[in-house]
Amino acid sequence: MTILLVVLGLFAGMVGALSGTGGGIIITPMLALYFGVPIEQAIGTSLIAVITTSAASSSVHLQRHTTDIRLGMTLELATALGAATTAYLVGYINRTALQVLFATFLLYGAVMILRRGGKTEDEQDEFVPQLSGTGFTIPDYEPKNMPLGLGASLVAGGLSGLLGIGGGPIKVPVMYIFMGIPLIVATATSNFMIGVTAAASAAVYYRRGDVVVGIAAPMAVGVFVGSLLGARLAMRVHSKYVAILLVGIMLYLSLHMFVHIAGKYL
Amino acid sequence: MSQIREPGFDRAVALVLRIGSFAAFLVMLTGVLAAVVVDGHTATRIELAGVLIMLITPVARVLVAMILFLREKDWKYGAISAGVLLILVLGSLFGVGEH
Repeated sequence: MTILLVVLGLFAGMVGALSGTGGGIIITPMLALYFGVPIEQAIGTSLIAVITTSAASSSVHLQRHTTDIRLGMTLELATALGAATTAYLVGYINRTALQVLFATFLLYGAVMILRRGGKTEDEQDEFVPQLSGTGFTIPDYEPKNMPLGLGASLVAGGLSGLLGIGGGPIKVPVMYIFMGIPLIVATATSNFMIGVTAAASAAVYYRRGDVVVGIAAPMAVGVFVGSLLGARLAMRVHSKYVAILLVGIMLYLSLHMFVHIAGKYL
Repeated sequence: MSQIREPGFDRAVALVLRIGSFAAFLVMLTGVLAAVVVDGHTATRIELAGVLIMLITPVARVLVAMILFLREKDWKYGAISAGVLLILVLGSLFGVGEH
């Protein structure tokens, strides 16, 4: 089983890095459906993989100097608080309710990727900064609407603690549209925040015994290598095919989860 | 004015993430290999050590950023970082819950 988990992590890490989604979204349902892990433990365990992906990818963004550490740290006050709170509440939530929530979110995520025409978050070709003599030319900006940003971060963090996902689809548009942050900075900063957000909830899951070490370790080993490979391959593989593959997997897993839940009541 | 463009600061924070995740990877890999070969209690403990290093890496990143802000006498962001650190520590101390 250990080797199977490494391979699954490798695959999830690679797809995650190629599509810019993190990969945690497919790890949780796979653990729940095919490895007999209770949903709350599947979420807690996949959070370790989420932290791994975030650490690897945000160190790349940092070295490109596209991350706004001050903005990220400020919004992390809200994401960490939201994540720790909902992670705590998961201990009291009915297991079936959590499964339904997860399957619904999985379906929603797949539809969102489809609606963007197979484009995932990290793909903003038109916003790739130009290299000048001194570095990247990012337009000057001043974060606006901080209360709204903090509110959205609280919700994104809450979702992260509840379902073990990153919350990028909420943070990136709020930073870009309402706070006046350039898209490339918003994406990098959202990515930067995921590690701390996931750690805030993972600590709670861990204390409750919901991080299965024997699964988390081989999975994270695979994810680490997979995301490095994926980052290398990203130049050569057409990301549209990866997005189609990801949507297919997400739809299948969501459907399977719904069938699984229904099966218990019919 | 934008708030970014402090290359040294970015590099230091990136370094924490790189060292932390790579160390966690190496320790977890050792544990996983041990689990495949001997499948015992020791293997699980090595795996646990790796998982905990991974879990602590983002916390270390906040701590290092806080120290860097304080050294720059940027009290506002030093305090914000301390707040994030406090939430992380409180969460791991009290966030137990039950099933």
